Amino acid sequence: MTSPGGPVLEARGLAREYGPVVAVRAVDLALEESDFLTIFGPNGAGKTSLLGMLGGAMRPSRGQVLIQGQALSYGDVEWRHRVGILSHRGFLYGRLTAEENLRFYGRLFGLSDLDRRVPARLARVGLENRARFQVRQLSHGMRQRLALARALLHDPDVVLLDEPYTGLDPSAATVLRGVLQELREWRRTVVMVTHNLSQGLELATRVAIQVRGRFAWEGTGDDIAASGFEALYHEVVESEGGARAPAGVATK
Amino acid sequence: MSRYMAQVGAIMWKDLVLELRSRERLTSMGAFAVLAGVLFSFSIDTASVRTQDVAAGLVWMTLVFGGLLGVGRTFYLEAEDGAFQGVLTSPAPKDAVFLAKTGANFVLLFAVSLLVLAVFALFFGVSVGANLGWIILVLGLGSLGFVALGTLFAAIASGTSMGETLLPVLVFPLLVPMVVYGVGTTDRLIAGRPLAEVEGNIRMLGAFALAAVAAGAVLFRFVVED
Amino acid sequence: MKTDNVSVAGLRRGGMVLTLIGLAGLLLLFWLSFFWVSTEIRQGIVQRIFYVHVPAAWTAFLAFGISALCSAVYLWLRDDRLDRAAACAAEGGLVFATIMLTTGPLWGKIAWGTYWTWEPRLTLTLLLWFIYLGYFMVRHSTEDPEKGKRFAAVVAIVGALDIPFIHLSVLWFRSLHPQPVVVKPEGPTLPGDMLTTLMTGLAVFTVIFFGLFLFRYALEGLRAEADLRARQSTA
Repeated sequence: MTSPGGPVLEARGLAREYGPVVAVRAVDLALEESDFLTIFGPNGAGKTSLLGMLGGAMRPSRGQVLIQGQALSYGDVEWRHRVGILSHRGFLYGRLTAEENLRFYGRLFGLSDLDRRVPARLARVGLENRARFQVRQLSHGMRQRLALARALLHDPDVVLLDEPYTGLDPSAATVLRGVLQELREWRRTVVMVTHNLSQGLELATRVAIQVRGRFAWEGTGDDIAASGFEALYHEVVESEGGARAPAGVATK
Repeated sequence: MSRYMAQVGAIMWKDLVLELRSRERLTSMGAFAVLAGVLFSFSIDTASVRTQDVAAGLVWMTLVFGGLLGVGRTFYLEAEDGAFQGVLTSPAPKDAVFLAKTGANFVLLFAVSLLVLAVFALFFGVSVGANLGWIILVLGLGSLGFVALGTLFAAIASGTSMGETLLPVLVFPLLVPMVVYGVGTTDRLIAGRPLAEVEGNIRMLGAFALAAVAAGAVLFRFVVED
Repeated sequence: MKTDNVSVAGLRRGGMVLTLIGLAGLLLLFWLSFFWVSTEIRQGIVQRIFYVHVPAAWTAFLAFGISALCSAVYLWLRDDRLDRAAACAAEGGLVFATIMLTTGPLWGKIAWGTYWTWEPRLTLTLLLWFIYLGYFMVRHSTEDPEKGKRFAAVVAIVGALDIPFIHLSVLWFRSLHPQPVVVKPEGPTLPGDMLTTLMTGLAVFTVIFFGLFLFRYALEGLRAEADLRARQSTA
């Protein structure tokens, strides 16, 4: 499906403002197949806005996002089949059952094999016995596993994760880790935003530190010895004045 | 095309299932309709005013205020757990989302409008039998125009810091034609006047509803964009 | 973001010239309508308010029209200048609609014996006034200003689309309800001096509107520039 060689996900001069407030400024990015980029950064660095633009949830103020060389138009829908988004919010309807939630999104994505796909995905995240439970009756961890199944239901080429580990219970974290491992084996392109260093570094092939809207530091897996990275991170954030940036101003 | 219909169907189905399970809006709109009827009966001196003469206006006012109550909530229900963002980042076109939500709201409001009609027939002894089919058609067209504007502007209102309180300010001025034609037509139909008198009005109501649906379908994408 | 100093200065100069011409014209209009034009026989002296009322109405409709048009093109092209033009025109529209809505009832009280009547143009102006009240309410109640601009544009467009429906429905409504007095505000054929005065009024109000519009537009340009600088200084 993916043409070998060229970047799968590309950003060119991506910027986003809210009136006088700058959330993201001039971010460039080129990710290839099976790249796993983790973006670290303090609160208000514009990580969520950047992810929002990459996933087509938000229109950029300037710049472009390209998937497999094709520039995304915010209004188009075709490319949305190729992108999966998992946020710390589940995007689930509390009064629909686990199965109904997946079937609902499956129909929005135009999937035709829902009778096979939905039970298989529920089993993959260990919810086969909870298929007919309404989501509001599920435990927090179960909901998060269901949210993961929802985000990947349509087998996207590009997976965007916004603080996926936030508030996860150990069982859900294990499932998430397993699924992320799989995504890497399947050569998917993944972008993850987090401020948890150890979870973020675990699978990353590339790392960026975003401070005050732009990438202040970028590196590949080889550059990062986990022990030294924490000191590097704090150094970068402080030298960019990120600590002085008013927290939360630009978070969505 | 069939995928488009499937997407519209999925969202409509989801909205209606959610409503059937929570009965949140149906209960409040239904209770409002009945209670408004009760209050109206006490607020009108039936010795000096014939209820036949004022029934049409009261039916439509109940419909407008009750509709506001239900339609205004439509995007707050979506906001829970960010689910609507999931819909907006899915491949479903924004106009499909709008048509589906308008459709689901229409089913709700049309049901309520029938209840309103029944309440007035019961409490006020208004005889609607002669032109019942036409009255229902008129209420249906009115409900459609209302939910189309209501859904579009509920999306706007829910995106502002003022929230639902903004909705009446935005939609009431726009609803004037619908109320004028709706009341005028219903009034004549209740009075048992010949159909020829109201035919033009029914056409105008239909045109209003169609224009509202079309405008909403085109403009909705600019409202839900982030 | 093409708001360089030169164009802003030019806009302000243009606004100044037009406003001064307009104000001078206003003096002329007052002189014409108070001292020069002949008194209308049936309605008497009160009819003279129409030399303010009708031009105000015309200008309000012109302004709302410009606002709706700019709003539609703004949603298409996403050029901030169009949004600014739409908002400035809408403000002007509100001002002139307010003039129209105050002078109308003043005249109506004497001519019709009632302050308010659902005269179609008066009704339409009242509703447009409220629609544009909503326009400014949505504009100023969003955290993200871009969102406020889009919301306001949608309000303006739907409002414009609703105008024919409002007009037809109010006409129909009125045809059922007899009016207090049947005097046409202005006959099809106005005597020459009245026509001259009215035309002067139309021209003067239009010029004043564009003068104020340019001032406002220049101010909004400066504000956008200030925003841009604020963004750059945090870089």
